[in-house]
Amino acid sequence: MSHYESPYREPLILGKKSYHDISVDIARPIETRANKNWWIAFTIALLAFLWGIGAITYTIATGIGTWGLNKNIGWAWDITNFVWWVGIGHAGTLISAVLLLFRQEWRMAINRSAEAMTIFAVFQAGLFPLIHMGRIWDGYFTLPIPNQFGSLWVNFNSPLLWDVFAISTYLSVSLVFWWTGLLPDFAMIRDRAIRPFQKKIYSLLSFGWTGRAKDWQRFEEVSLVLAGLATPLVLSVHTIVSMDFATSINPGWHSTIFPPYFVAGAIFSGFAMVQTLLGIMRKVTHLENYITRKHIENMNMVILLTGGIVATAYLTEFFIGWYTGSPYENYTYMSVGAATGPYWWAFWSLILFNIIIPQFLWFKKVRTSFIWSFVISIAINIGMWFERFDIIAIVLSKGHLPSSWGRFEPTFVDIGIFIGTLGFFFVLFLLYARTFPVIAQAEVKTILKKTGQYHKNLRDTSHE
Amino acid sequence: MASNKKYWISTEELKKDTSLIDNLNQKEFMEEIPTDEFLGDKEALESSETSRRDFLKFVGFSTAAATLASCEGPVRKAIPYVVKPEEITPGQANYYASTMFDGFDFANILVKTREGRPIKIEANKEADGSTNARVQASVLSLYDSFRLKGPKYKGEKISWEDVDKNIMSALPKVYASGKEVVLLTGTCASPSTQKLVKQFEEKYGKIRHVVYDAVSESAALDAFEAMYGERALPDYDFSKAKTIVAIGADFLGDWQGGNFSAGYANGRKPESGKMSYHVQLESNMSLTGANSDKRFTLKPSEQVFALVGLYNAITGNNIPTQATPVDEAIKELAKKLKASGSGAVVVTDIQNKNAQIMALAINEALGSDVVDVVNTKNIRKGNDADVAALIKDMKAGKIGALITHNTNPVYTLSNSNAFVEALKNVDLSIAFAMHEDETAKHMQYALSVPHYLESWGDVMHKKGYYSITQPTIKPLFYTRQFQDTLLKWIGNEDSFYDYMKANFSGDWDQTVHDGFAKIAYTPEESTFERTIDINAVGAALNTIKPGKLELALYTKISMGDGQMANNPWLQELPDPISRASWDNYITMSPADAREFGLTNVTRDDGALDGDLVDLTVDGVTIENVPVLIQPGQAVGSIGLALGYGRSEGVKDEMKQGVNAYVYATKSYADVSLRKTGSIHGFACIQLQHTLAGRHDILREVSLEDYNNEAPHEWNHQHKFSYDHQEVPAEKVDLWESVDRSNGHHFNLSIDLTACTGCAACVVACHAENNVPVVGKREIRKSRDMHWLRIDRYYSSEVPTREAAKEEGLGKGDMYHGLEKAADNPQVAFQPVMCQHCNHAPCETVCPVAATSHGKQGQNQMAYNRCVGTRYCANNCPYRVRRFNWFRYNENEEFDYNMNDDYGKMVLNPDVVVRSRGVMEKCSMCIQMTQATILEAKKEGRKIKDGEFQTACMNACTTGAMVFGDVNDKESKVAQLAEDKRAYHLLDFVGTKPNVVYQVKVRNEEA
Repeated sequence: MSHYESPYREPLILGKKSYHDISVDIARPIETRANKNWWIAFTIALLAFLWGIGAITYTIATGIGTWGLNKNIGWAWDITNFVWWVGIGHAGTLISAVLLLFRQEWRMAINRSAEAMTIFAVFQAGLFPLIHMGRIWDGYFTLPIPNQFGSLWVNFNSPLLWDVFAISTYLSVSLVFWWTGLLPDFAMIRDRAIRPFQKKIYSLLSFGWTGRAKDWQRFEEVSLVLAGLATPLVLSVHTIVSMDFATSINPGWHSTIFPPYFVAGAIFSGFAMVQTLLGIMRKVTHLENYITRKHIENMNMVILLTGGIVATAYLTEFFIGWYTGSPYENYTYMSVGAATGPYWWAFWSLILFNIIIPQFLWFKKVRTSFIWSFVISIAINIGMWFERFDIIAIVLSKGHLPSSWGRFEPTFVDIGIFIGTLGFFFVLFLLYARTFPVIAQAEVKTILKKTGQYHKNLRDTSHE
Repeated sequence: MASNKKYWISTEELKKDTSLIDNLNQKEFMEEIPTDEFLGDKEALESSETSRRDFLKFVGFSTAAATLASCEGPVRKAIPYVVKPEEITPGQANYYASTMFDGFDFANILVKTREGRPIKIEANKEADGSTNARVQASVLSLYDSFRLKGPKYKGEKISWEDVDKNIMSALPKVYASGKEVVLLTGTCASPSTQKLVKQFEEKYGKIRHVVYDAVSESAALDAFEAMYGERALPDYDFSKAKTIVAIGADFLGDWQGGNFSAGYANGRKPESGKMSYHVQLESNMSLTGANSDKRFTLKPSEQVFALVGLYNAITGNNIPTQATPVDEAIKELAKKLKASGSGAVVVTDIQNKNAQIMALAINEALGSDVVDVVNTKNIRKGNDADVAALIKDMKAGKIGALITHNTNPVYTLSNSNAFVEALKNVDLSIAFAMHEDETAKHMQYALSVPHYLESWGDVMHKKGYYSITQPTIKPLFYTRQFQDTLLKWIGNEDSFYDYMKANFSGDWDQTVHDGFAKIAYTPEESTFERTIDINAVGAALNTIKPGKLELALYTKISMGDGQMANNPWLQELPDPISRASWDNYITMSPADAREFGLTNVTRDDGALDGDLVDLTVDGVTIENVPVLIQPGQAVGSIGLALGYGRSEGVKDEMKQGVNAYVYATKSYADVSLRKTGSIHGFACIQLQHTLAGRHDILREVSLEDYNNEAPHEWNHQHKFSYDHQEVPAEKVDLWESVDRSNGHHFNLSIDLTACTGCAACVVACHAENNVPVVGKREIRKSRDMHWLRIDRYYSSEVPTREAAKEEGLGKGDMYHGLEKAADNPQVAFQPVMCQHCNHAPCETVCPVAATSHGKQGQNQMAYNRCVGTRYCANNCPYRVRRFNWFRYNENEEFDYNMNDDYGKMVLNPDVVVRSRGVMEKCSMCIQMTQATILEAKKEGRKIKDGEFQTACMNACTTGAMVFGDVNDKESKVAQLAEDKRAYHLLDFVGTKPNVVYQVKVRNEEA
């Protein structure tokens, strides 16, 4: 038996579970056939994905003019979606790296899926900077590769270039971290696999994991090192994304609070997305015993905290804009001009979804309710999309010179590409849910006897 | 049956012993191949540096190389000159002085040609020439693929020989039948042509020459004849004016032939201390009204009464007239005019002979020096009465032959149906036309004439001024000019060139070289006696009955009379006031629009929609006319532009708007309209019409404050706190400054006082820089490609805090009040192009460094490097960067001049045509400045001030734009950059632009 844990601490694993039960539970989706619901969901996601591919092909073949952009609004849905997806991709690393460093054991049930979500979301995010280029076929100009173009080199002053590095670093570190964690679990699947082909695949994926003590020792060390590497990335990626705006000169973009504000927003949206996905997954894959009320509540508390930071940032933006007394600040995304202008609906959507609705999480009843958590997480996902849309489209629609004020309306191509990325994301996630161990079972097993409900009860009764 | 033939290779095969044959069959080579000798030598092989791998590499490489070499790029043939013309050096432009007069626009011009192709029109400054937007754009009309490419008889192609034969035999028959022969032309100011017509009469018999202007000045011509005995137009020199009162006259536009802008701007130079005071009384918001110091809105009928009132106030007469809302102001104006002495002038555009007489009488009473009634102008000669008589005679069958030239009556006549009907009674009808237009369609013969850039001609647009049109390219099509044809028909074998030359007395070569000559003449002693009873004139005017709603027709600076409707540059040129392109529409005051329940709505994609109405004027209805709500439109009046609604001889894309000519002779006071319930889409490129409280963008000062107050009072400099000290915003900087004190450093100064918003620069920029035309659909999506735009701002009326409280207005109303234009706003124009910031925000954000700074101050675009992230455009506070959303050349979706083998000939070979997906913007015409530098270098001399030019400043008639090198401290632009009126747009952003604006000074009365 591992060390003592307070009886007041809620158990993280419910029911009477043995180590073998855990293996069986986690391996079940992989070893059984997909049910009808999975196929329906997969078909819808695949269709959306194909539609997206069609829209992207059309864009590249015809021109960016197929989108709703114009001379005054050079970015809208493209970069909105980019930032939104990057933001979503923030929870995974935070959960697996930062919470690992802080020894938060509740992370173990959710970190695998959160990280998968991160990686899939970063795929979607990375797509937009590529396809938003007018000449995607010259996209390699943005890479600092030796070339024959004379003295041409990339411009290290440009935040877009920083993005290139930030996103690619984040993706590679996340991927390695995720895979490292997967090794013992893949090995477990491999060992259970009956069909030779499956065995072959999982033995390849598990990189020849043997389960020796040395393996475990190295595993722990690498996890710690990678967690240390990944932690600053949690802060750096969205800081750099925010600099796309903060280093520019548009009123509403040019703001020094953007980096922390964006990081908080990213964690806010990332946790909301984890909440959404787990809400579905725990039901569909019958993992109710592993993803418990306690997990939901903990995540809701993180959402409440980061949501509070974001709301404070909004108010600061609003106040400082007004306080400058500058007429150029009258129409930023956080201003009276925005609240009463043509984009009032986008402004108020942001306020409603991102500030007002999350406040219900102060109530323990709401916070620990699966269904309310799910509903609120959806609201936050929408709200955070509007935040980015407001920052980009509202600010660009009313720039410095009133003669150049404009409006933006998405075309079916804009919408198609966004839906396509949602489709792509769910295609990846659904495939993942059927082929990957969705919970880090090796880690969960380490806390079974410490915080498992059955074992806790056993211990508590023995004390009496 | 299958053939069983056998062919013998050699006689050996006949033999039984066939070892040789077997050998031959088995072995390719009879002798043993010494492979052992070759491969057995292990030592040699081992010492060989070519391994098997190397061998395979070489094979692979040579196969790949051979394959690649066989892939050939597309071959484009450039055919060199066999015998190079002496004056053409490929890569170097030649300029020819010429003259444009198409019956509507007159301009002394220089034609820039490259490799024998005219590609740009510039003003001939030696001849004091000036160009407007249409003159600038006329070069594209040369390459119009819809031109009539050869003579036609009843729609069938015919050769010129047959045309000559047929007509030379037909004409005597017409004369023999006793019917008249009529020549119907636009205003023809060519002395040689007039002489030629006389010779034609000598050969064939009497010819009736009817002159017809689409946009008639008949009233002014008749009035002048009544006053001074000569049917001509007086000239006006507004540079001498101290007080200008214009009643409906858009003299900065097309009023009486235009060309008054330069003089007007000359009379309004605040630094010289003298600045004319300009009052405009008008119904439509015109370009001139927008530039005025004080503007009153008056319905067309009220303008007449105001004119009479002004006459009364000036002369002390008491001609009965009707009351107007501005009677008090008129009295003040009269005082002001009288006080200005000979510098006072009153001009009017009321199409009424009596009103025109009244205006001339006022000027005479004032003793105005501005008006020149001696050196009169021939720029308009049309006679409405003659045209009416002609149609009557045609209908009566009195006309045997009708020859039209440079006119399109079927399109421009208000009673064109009557004309078409009457045409059936004419035995022989011949149209000389450049397009198969509405008129040419109805005539028997449609004879193709060349564009003015392919023709010879002479113009006497004003007494004593002789100008020459010379061809700058061989005719593109099977055309022959009108005059050459006439010469042919009278049996003269000379060309019109010889004919002109023979008629000219003076230094011919010099005149052709210069494009013009001043000819000394002595005005004839006038024996004319005036018999005008001014009281009768006034009484006639007093019978005018005002209508509830009145119509005022006008011409746009883009489309003019509509003869260049197939020119995409002009179609896409936004109206300087409404900022709408590709359309004409009813302009209506906000108050009237409310009354009629008509609205303009901005859609979510930024496109402007407006209600459609059925408009009925004097019994004639045009269905589905869009209504654009126009601040500054007189309540109770509507405006409608002429020149639109073409139906023949133009591309479908160019068939925009409605034909307002049907109302040209109708009573303007009998107007009614009915809302149809349908919606029309405008192509308006500016959605926000006021400054929204950001007054430091377009700085304005009254003349009084300018003269008396310290500059910082009205040319406010932003200050920042830096190191605990207040310092000017532009001194605070993140960046290390580059030393720009050696070499050239270009600046462009734009004087907002002098800029009238005429938009000639916009078209000049199109022509110089191959700016694409994107069409109405894309303009509606705010995707115009203009490198240079002219922002137009209306003033707004925001109630004071106290007034707002009284009216019960909330803070939100106050806030949005700044966004709304006043009902009769003041207007200001601001040309905006790339500001070429020394610390350019676009440059830092480009990930691939496609936009970077030049040593001479230009912000440069490397199109080849651009990947199209559009970050630069987002970070440009001036929003001057334009993205190629689609491929705009050789694309059927954009069927304008760049998708057309003829239209492409206008492209400037010095400027690349941009591909899809790249950003583009103003380059400060770097191709022009570099050419200047190279030329001076070759000649080993210093560059003089004024040599450096850009297309926009070159096209500027009023001198509002000054370009040059600020490192040349003596240069004009260096001084302007330091002027007390100088400011940088959005200086507080710290971009340090190389474009300098000069504060607008308005001569406002306190």
